[in-house]
Amino acid sequence: MERLKIRWIIFAGLLLVVVVSYLIDFRFGSRPSPQVQKCYDYIESLPDSAVVMISFDHEASSLPEIQPIALALLRHAFRKDIKIIGLSLFAEGTAIGYRLLNKVAGEYGKHYGQDYVFLGFKPQYISAILGLGESIRDVFPEDYLGRSLDSLPFMDNIISYEQVAMVISIADGDRTVHWIEYGNARYGQEIMAGLTAAMITSYDPYLASGQLFAVVGGLKGAAEYESLLGQPGKGGRGMLAQTSAHIYVIILIIIGNIIYFRNRSRQGRG
Amino acid sequence: MATRLPLAICFIFGLVMFLQYFSGHPLARAAYNHILDWWQIIFAFTLLVGVAAFIKSSLRKTQVKKDAPYALIALAGLILMPLLAVIDGTDIDSPFLWAFENMLAPLQATVFSLLAFFVASASFRGFRARSVPAAILLGTALVVLVGRVPLAESISELFPKVTFWIQNYPSMAARRAILIGIGLGSMTTALRVILGIERTYLSGE
Repeated sequence: MERLKIRWIIFAGLLLVVVVSYLIDFRFGSRPSPQVQKCYDYIESLPDSAVVMISFDHEASSLPEIQPIALALLRHAFRKDIKIIGLSLFAEGTAIGYRLLNKVAGEYGKHYGQDYVFLGFKPQYISAILGLGESIRDVFPEDYLGRSLDSLPFMDNIISYEQVAMVISIADGDRTVHWIEYGNARYGQEIMAGLTAAMITSYDPYLASGQLFAVVGGLKGAAEYESLLGQPGKGGRGMLAQTSAHIYVIILIIIGNIIYFRNRSRQGRG
Repeated sequence: MATRLPLAICFIFGLVMFLQYFSGHPLARAAYNHILDWWQIIFAFTLLVGVAAFIKSSLRKTQVKKDAPYALIALAGLILMPLLAVIDGTDIDSPFLWAFENMLAPLQATVFSLLAFFVASASFRGFRARSVPAAILLGTALVVLVGRVPLAESISELFPKVTFWIQNYPSMAARRAILIGIGLGSMTTALRVILGIERTYLSGE
């Protein structure tokens, strides 16, 4: 009964910490990490009309963390007049990707079929990644809404990865690994990633080896990117809540250990 | 025959896919592209098998009183979502996208966010410095936890630097060892399957 009570107090405490800190509109001044700076500089260096492929490889569950990253990257790309091919190798990422792409395109007055397209979802991601290196039309003969790719002016000169400057995989799991292992290793395609914070360490070896170009990681990465863009968004807005939750967990660990050592010394004396 | 035929198919396709990687010959490229197409087609059929299995299992659950409401909701979702997509498309203002964004996405986010509560509870009850290695692990976790928030830079410049060092040296060394192990294991398993030594995919023979 006592244990259950403590658990409820911990749960209520976390809820309170997150809700209260989210209600306070405070933003940290985020200094961009080298990785985020590298992503930003790369997109900044692309010429007008360069083509970037953005793959929404995530589930709806990670949307609060993934969406700010996706929005920051899309805003930067559209602001630079970069052309975007959207797609998804995760069924749930399809609707999310299409919605986000249209939302940001609307903000910058971009037109579907001329400045961006959305190819939709393809099951069996490995064969899709490999197939895109041979022919995009073979893997996606039609776009998300069922229009032939040949009817879209945007796709006139785009055949395979050769016309794509960078693939950006926005993921909450290991889909980016497959982009690296098949898109990069087989076709030499540059890969960049927008990842949830929990996944960042999994990709460190690929970053160190240069197989993965750079990463925008977690809500912190999104906040840093937003500050580089000079466009405040949900990343910066959520940083206080995330920081508070981290501090709350640290306090819980410290209290737990104090209780543990106190009980141990009592038992020792007893 | 029932065993030899799948083993032969597996050997031939494994060998072709292995050899074509090293060849730029048009014939090898054509074979590769055909196999990629077939891969997609076969996978589409496995999705159908998955849907059929899900329907079968849900129908069985409707017979059990306490599971019945959940099974019925799951079946309704399975039927309604494709129906909405077929009737009114999947464009921005479609009912399909509305249902996805206002039902599925919040439900999934809710379930996922429960994890934060369990992490908080587990950190209080389980994360104890019971021994020297546990104390080192605990100390490292605390430094990384602090180092991953912007507040750390205001406390001390050292926090982000130490976090960076932990991620790039001890953590990366362990991660690389795991990845190399996985790579070698995958190669061995692939060779065993191609050569017909590993046959568990043939009903555990």
